[in-house]
Parts: sequence; C-alpha cells; structure tokens
Amino acid sequence: MKKSRLIHVGAAFLTATLALTACAGGGNADDDSKKLTFMFRGGEDEKKAYEAVIAQYEKDTGVDVEVIVTTADDYSTKLKATITGRQVPDVFYIAPGEVQSFVNSGVIMDITEHVEGSDVVNLDNIWQYGVDSYRYDGTVQGQGAIYAMPKDVGPFSMGYNKTMFEEAGIDIPDPDQPYTWDEWLDIAKKLTKDNDGDGELDQWGTGLNITWNLQSFVWSNGGDWLSEDGKTVTVDTPEFAEALQFMADVENKHGVTPSTAQAQTLDTYQRWMKGEIGFFPVGPWDVSTYQTLDFDWDLMPYPVGSTGEPATWIGTLGIAASATTEHPDEAIDLLLYLTANEEGQQALVDANIQIPNLIDVAEEWAAEEGAVPANRKEFLDVVQTYGRALPANRTYNGEWYDELFTNIQPVLDGDMTAEEYLKEAQPKMQSFLDAANADAEMSSVN
Amino acid sequence: MTTVESPSQGLDPIKAPSSKLPKLGTGKLLIPGKGFGPASSQGKQRLGNIIVGFVLSLGGIIMVGPLLWTLSTSLKTREGVFALPPQWIPDPFVWENYVRIWTAGPLLSGITNSLIVAFSVTIVGTVFSSLAAYAFAKLRIPFRNGFFLILLSGLMIPYPTLMIPQFVMFSEWGWVNTLLPLIVPGLFGNIMMIFFLRQYLSSVPDSMLEAAKIDGAGYLQTFGRMVLPLIRPAIAAQFILWFMAIWNDYLAPIIYLNSPEKQTLQLVIASFNAQYAIQTDYPLIMAASFVALIPVLLIFLIFQRQIIESIALTGSKG
Amino acid sequence: MALNDVATTPPTPATKKAANQRSSGTSRLHARERRIGLAFIAVPLVGFTIFTLYPLIFSVYASLTQWNGLGPMNFIGLGNYERLLQDEYFHKALFNTFYLMIGIPIGLILSLLLALAMNRKMRGTTFFRTIYYIPVISSLAAIAIMWQWAYNGDFGLINQTLAIFGIDGPNWLENTSTVKPAIILMTVWKGLGYSMLLYLAAIQSVPASLYEAAALDGAGALRKFRSITLPMVRPVTFFLVVTSIIGGAQVFIEINIMTPDGGPQFSSATIVWYIWQKAFDNLQMGYAASMSIVLGLIVFVITAIQFRLNARNSFSIE
Repeated sequence: MKKSRLIHVGAAFLTATLALTACAGGGNADDDSKKLTFMFRGGEDEKKAYEAVIAQYEKDTGVDVEVIVTTADDYSTKLKATITGRQVPDVFYIAPGEVQSFVNSGVIMDITEHVEGSDVVNLDNIWQYGVDSYRYDGTVQGQGAIYAMPKDVGPFSMGYNKTMFEEAGIDIPDPDQPYTWDEWLDIAKKLTKDNDGDGELDQWGTGLNITWNLQSFVWSNGGDWLSEDGKTVTVDTPEFAEALQFMADVENKHGVTPSTAQAQTLDTYQRWMKGEIGFFPVGPWDVSTYQTLDFDWDLMPYPVGSTGEPATWIGTLGIAASATTEHPDEAIDLLLYLTANEEGQQALVDANIQIPNLIDVAEEWAAEEGAVPANRKEFLDVVQTYGRALPANRTYNGEWYDELFTNIQPVLDGDMTAEEYLKEAQPKMQSFLDAANADAEMSSVN
Repeated sequence: MTTVESPSQGLDPIKAPSSKLPKLGTGKLLIPGKGFGPASSQGKQRLGNIIVGFVLSLGGIIMVGPLLWTLSTSLKTREGVFALPPQWIPDPFVWENYVRIWTAGPLLSGITNSLIVAFSVTIVGTVFSSLAAYAFAKLRIPFRNGFFLILLSGLMIPYPTLMIPQFVMFSEWGWVNTLLPLIVPGLFGNIMMIFFLRQYLSSVPDSMLEAAKIDGAGYLQTFGRMVLPLIRPAIAAQFILWFMAIWNDYLAPIIYLNSPEKQTLQLVIASFNAQYAIQTDYPLIMAASFVALIPVLLIFLIFQRQIIESIALTGSKG
Repeated sequence: MALNDVATTPPTPATKKAANQRSSGTSRLHARERRIGLAFIAVPLVGFTIFTLYPLIFSVYASLTQWNGLGPMNFIGLGNYERLLQDEYFHKALFNTFYLMIGIPIGLILSLLLALAMNRKMRGTTFFRTIYYIPVISSLAAIAIMWQWAYNGDFGLINQTLAIFGIDGPNWLENTSTVKPAIILMTVWKGLGYSMLLYLAAIQSVPASLYEAAALDGAGALRKFRSITLPMVRPVTFFLVVTSIIGGAQVFIEINIMTPDGGPQFSSATIVWYIWQKAFDNLQMGYAASMSIVLGLIVFVITAIQFRLNARNSFSIE
C-alpha cells in the first residue's frame, strides 16, 4: 500500500517534470498552421532586418516561421549540433564549405527544379558566383545540381579613413588605379604617427588580420593555396612566401600597424572604428555599423602585387532547405522569398547589411547619389572582376586551410621567415587535405 | 576587514536528530582555536595572530578582488571601462546596466531553465537515491555488494567519454534542444549521494530498524518514519551540493541547447560574453555574470554551515 | 572508499538457507524484503545501464569507426588510434592538460598553510573562511568570464594592479608563454577554499593530546608540524591529489570561455576541449570517441590507483 503511494508520488513528479520541460522545450503541439524553423546568424542589425522580412512573409502567406538566431562565431557549431541532433531546421544558412558533407549525408535538399521552374527566380539576374558556390555534382563543387541559394555575396573590399587622409594632406586613393604594395606602404608610413605628442603612436597606417587579408596579397602576387585539381597544397611557392613576408614586414619591420600587444588589447577593428587606422578592409555586412562612424570613409581597390591585378575574396552564405522537412513546399517558398524576392531583398539592402542579390537592383544601388560609402561600385567590381572564392570553400572540410593560420604568429612576430614557415606547414596541410579527400570519397560512396 | 564575527557564531556542530545517532562530520571542524597545544606565551600568541591576520587579510583581498572588480566594472559606463588611469570606483555609477541585462539577452529564461533542471533533478533524484541508499545499507538483497560496486564503477567513467553516445541517443529520441537530456539521467539518482547516504546509514544500529520491522511497519513506512528523519541532515547537505553542481554545469548544456531561450543560465552569460565583448560592452557582461553568481551565493550564505560540514565530510570519507 | 566494511552482516548463502529453514513466515518476510530492496536499487541500476553502461560500450565501438554522426559508421579497426599517435594537436592537448595540473601542488601547499593559519585561536577566522570559500561555490563559467576580463592586457585588473607597482604586464591570454600560467592562477584561486577546508577538518581532528605529549618532549612548532600534522593530513592530501587529477584531466569550461579557439597556437587547448571540437565542430565523432576512450583510460587508471592505495592506507570509513 505504502509502496504504491510513494511510487505514485515519484511517478507524478516524473510526469510533472517531463510535462514542464516539454512545455519549456516548446513542443510541436499545434498542427493547424504550418510551422517552419529558420536558423541563421548575424549581428543585431542583421537580426532585426531578417525578422522584419520574415514578419512580412508570415503576413503574406500565413505560414508560421520560428526564428533561431546565433552569433556569427557560434553558428557553425550550433548548426551542426541541430543537424547531428536530428533537429534540422527547415530552412537555414550554410557556408559553401559545408555543401559537400551535407549533401553526402543527405541533410540538404536538391532544389534545382524549384529554382529553375520558379517564376520568382531569374537565375540570370543573380550573381553567378553565388549560385555556383552551392552547386555540387557529387564529386566536384561548382557545377551540377543546386543545393542552396546565395543569401548574398560578400565582397571583401579595402576601405580607408578619408578624414585622416585629408588631415595628413594626402591625396585620396584613385578608385580605378590601385596602389602597388610599395605605394600603399609609403602612405601607411605617412599615416602612422603620434597625434597627441605623448611619445606613443596613436594612429597607424593599417592593421590587417592575417586570416582575412592574406588571400588578397597571395593571389595578387600570383600565388594560391591549391593546385587546379584541388589535390595538392601549393603554399610553398616563392610567390606565396613573398606575399606572407610582405604582410609580416608591414607589421613588424615597417611598424605601420598597432603592435601585437596593442592589437590584442583592442583589436584593429575597434581601433579603425575609433578613427585610429588608415586602411582597413570593409565587407558589406560592416556598412550598417559604419554608418555612425564620426569620420568619412570610402572604398578603394586592394593594393597590387607582382601580377598588377588586385585580388580579394568574396564571402557568401547560402540558404538551404532540409531534406527531411515536413513542409518541403513552404520551406522552398521561404528560401526563395529570402534570396530572390524583390521586396525582401530591398528590405535587407535598406538595412545596410548586404549588397543586393539581384544584379539589376545592385547596379541601381551602386549608382545611388550621396550614399555611404560613395564608392559602392567597388563592391560590385570585386564580385564581377577581381574577387574569388575562399580556398576552403570547395574542399570537403577546412582543416587543411585552418592549419596554416594556427601556428602563423611567429612569422608575424618576425621570429621566423615566411619561407621557413610555409615549408614546414605544407606537409601538414597536405596530410589534412588528403584526409579530407579520403573522407569525401568514403562518404560519397554511401 | 573590520567586520569580525564572534568566533562562536554559527559554529555549533550540526545537531543530530537524535542523541544516539552519529554526528555528521567531526563536529569539531567549526570550532576554531584548537591550535598546537597551549601557546608558550600570551604575547607571542598575540604577535603571531597579528601577522597571520595580516596575511589572511591580504589573501582575502586577493580572493574577493576579482569579484569586487567585476561589480565595479558592471557599474561603469562603457567608456569608463577603458579609462586611464583606471577607475577603481565607477564614476558615475550606472545602475542602468542591471536593467539593460534583462532585455539584452534571455537572462530571465536562463534562470528559469536552470531552476527547472536543478530542482527537478535534485528533488526526484534525491528520493530515489535515498531509497537506494537505504536498501544498500539495511535490506537483505542478493548480490548487494556486487550491485553497489557496479554503481560505484560509474564514478570512474568521466562524462566526456559518454557524451558522444549519449548525444546520439538523445538525438534519436528527439530530445536535443530540450532540457530533457539534462534532467532525465539525474532523475535515476546520484551515485555519490547513494554512496554517502549508505555510509551514513551504516552507522545506524540495525536493531532500531529491526524493531520497527517486528512492529509490522512496512518498508516504506520504516523509511519514511525512521530512516528519513535520521539521514535528513546528510540528505540536506548532499542535496545542496548536487543542486549547486547542476546549477553550475556547462558542458552538457552547451552540447544540447541551441536556441537562446532554451539555454541555461551559464550558457546565457557565456553568450553574453561572446556577443557583447565585440561591442566592448563589458559593463553589461559583468553585470550579467554578477547576477548569475547571486543565487548560489545566497544559498551558500544561508546554508553555509551544512555546506561546509558536508564538504569536510566528503574529504574525510572519500 | 573502502568496500570491505559494508556495515551489516553480508547475507551469505548459508545464513539465508538457515533463515529459510527457520520458518515459512520469516522466509516470506525475507522474500518480501528482497523484492522491495531490489525495487529500491533498481532505479539507479537502470539509470546506470541506460546512461553509463550502454554509452560506454557504444563509445568503444564508435572509436573503431570513421563516422560523422550523420551517415553510417564505417568500421576502420584501430585507424583512429593510429591517427592519435600521429596527431600533433592531440599530443599538444595532452601536454597542455598535464601542464595545467602544475596548479595542483601549488594549491595544496597554499591551502595547507591557510588551514594552519585558520586553525589559530583568533577572531575572524569564520569570516575569512567564508571569504576564501566564495570562489569555490561560484559558477566556473561566470568566474572564467570575470578572469578573462581581469587578464585583459591594458584594462584588466591584473595589469592595472601591476601598473601600480610599475610593472608592465603582458597580454596574459594571448601569449603562448603566459596563457597556461594565467589559467593555472585562476584555477588555484578558485580551488583554494575547498582544499583549505578539508585540511582544516583534518587538522582539527588531530587529538590535542598528541601535541601536548610532543610539547612535553620539547618539540618545537616546526617539529610538531612535521611529525604530527603532516602525517595526520596525509589522507586528505591523497584524496585531494587524486580528485584534482581526475578533475584536471577534464578541464573544459575555462578553456572554452577564456580561449574559445584553443589559445594562441593551440597553447591552452585541453583534451576535453579537443574532443568537443572534433566531435561537435568538425563532426569527426569516431575520432573524437577514440580520444574520449583514451581520456577514460587515464581517469580509470588514476581512480584504480586511488582504490588500491586507499585500501593499503586503511584510510577508510569507520
């Protein structure tokens, strides 16, 4: 008797907690309206912009959309957690580097038919680079079926502090005539100075993060990460070494950047926003934040190395639909709304977080008078002429690529030459790449 | 450091429910001043005390320094944080930071989630742990020691070794991004708790329980009327320790909880840290972290005696 | 944890048989006791089977496969373990994990000294005990966030304090040479109160008569410390060393929060951090499982040594 009572109490407790957590967990109780989950990442402005666009979509279609948003740093981990946790969101951002493994594991849907058959989407009017980033034919990425639509393309451009140039009496950069590395360095030297006279530098020519700027210098100098066939790591070439050495010298030999310690305390991004830095890269996603800077700034081409051509990378994120979604039609509908619908695009562009996805809209946008930055056209130039995909976008995973940056600090500190370092790094990177290629093969067989 | 409590305050040993019962811990722990025998001279003793007191105060400053500094940062303006020379005391005091944190992130739902997890696990888990401890200590069961050893072996397996399979298992059950993976395993009881309660019960004379049995009391009745009151102090101590451990857990939540409104408090403050450091909004981060400390700090100050007793017990009985 | 002294008489087959023969009434009673006892211990045993035993077996199997957590598990024998032998980062993580354990002896020495100081006949020890104990109960996530900020190169508490003495401190968490000492310092700070408390309990349980006898023999304070106090606190030291090593092998939270990408040049990444990264970030669950098995073995060996030495020291439950 007594036992059963206690057990009842225990069971009641258990049920109560389970019920409680199920509620807290936001179960899938109501089935009358169709409900989609959309997972994405971004800062405050991007979050607000997307929430507004989605509210509009909900109003237009009556479909309920639950939004999951994370910080940029957390996104990849969190997305993988939901996928391995068998709770794939119906619609979500993916990076090009994830396409192969997600397709091979059956996570994302082939949307080719829907894109091509849609009357919303005109593929000729969307940046080809963007769409191609999400094509995959089972062995090679960049061709074949479409697995996601680009939410945007993100040309990583060079910016400069116009106010600082004017104060120093330096001519502002010509938007059509890139500097050579040496010219660029000379100006950086002129901009590096001690304004308040306390004996310590408080203004610097530049301050570039190696992870996001090495690409430009390497490519413009004729080097690259991978061989054509994507099987060999080619970072041990003289062109590559020269570019890396130049970047290291800018930092530790020419002294035109905040010291490592200074940059660690307050990173160069913060210092640029405080007006302490002359040249600093700008992506479209920065523009909303930079609207409130208390100095004038604009865009210019990246300085050029031995090829004489500027180079930089174009970021992109795509929006994909889950292969196991319960509402495939609605999921694709939302995906297309977010990437190709004109009003939706306009709202995102107005929020200053991206350049337009639609080419005709973009051209109009670039020509707009009185916009900040004035030289918006530079963004389009990157996309149309001199931008490239990040090296790890088309490999099965990015471990080989990350390896280069993990131990690069001694080069930047001047404790090691670029050539020595790259010679050491190449075999390690190669073995990671080989492992990635082997994994790709093993997973595509299944 | 002028607030010095009278040494006798809060120092009496935990009162055992019945004078016949073993006391939790030595009972002597909290009585200070049992030094190395009689001091050779009063003066020497006093000088020693001054020196030791000074060293302890210095150490005390180091111990609370980071916490006070967190508090100070949390009350500064965003610019004040970067002032040189540093502002040791905020100027001006920005109490508003403690208002902002509630809208800047899901702090409130973080607290609620942590409370749900911690209370459901500890309450249900404690019931099952104490029943099991009673059975292990006092009931005749075949292979009793064998079963007990099997359970104890679980203590040897670190959580990281189990987290991948557990994760896969819970994913298949559709439990990812809910609080269930944090709650359900704990409901089945806690091995540490079973161990300590069993140890504690072992020193209760069998004859007392046998007498009850002869009187015709059922096992649950015996448990409820006799065993439970006996081990209540031990349960209370273990309960608080367990509660704090769950409250402060981080690795399991970070694996299972993805959407911000489902995260526990520790994850919420960690994402405050990640999110607002970029905007150099350190006052906000520090205010949120400080708020996260308060509940456990309060529990500690209220139950200080039990907590300290039971921790001392952990060591001496380990 | 001595298991050889389970309190009540173990139910050997012989006694049970005898009991059965005594009368059918007793035997029915015993059968009922067995049933109920088994029911009571069944809950934790079921929990153990589902949440520990099964995952453990699964983990061993997963460690023999190439598996991304989504697709099928491709059996590759000892392939992952071979990779472990060559994986520079795993070796580094292992090295870092053990390096961080330098904090253990430092913490023990400091906390023993503190315990001795607290044991003096003086006012205020209760107050100090509370102060030193606050970091112990505080959530590690919040503490790590606070210390990350305290270690900031220009605006952190540590360097601003050093600046008062004219010392220009480094950027602690960003330099390969200072990141580990910085984390060690924080760990010692957080754990000091805990070991101090255990030492205090041990010191206070030393019979005063021992010291009195030694004093009669003319032993000085140092001598008394060496030949009485030190041997008497040895079991606590042993307990602390072992539990700290087990905990130290699983360091994760502070690394994840203070150096989210494993520190400059991977210099603060620990085993559990690396397992977590491989499993949930790189989706190499098979490989991560093999590392988690290695971690499990390390912890198992340490725990086994504890059990062995414990039995030998006859440091057991009374």
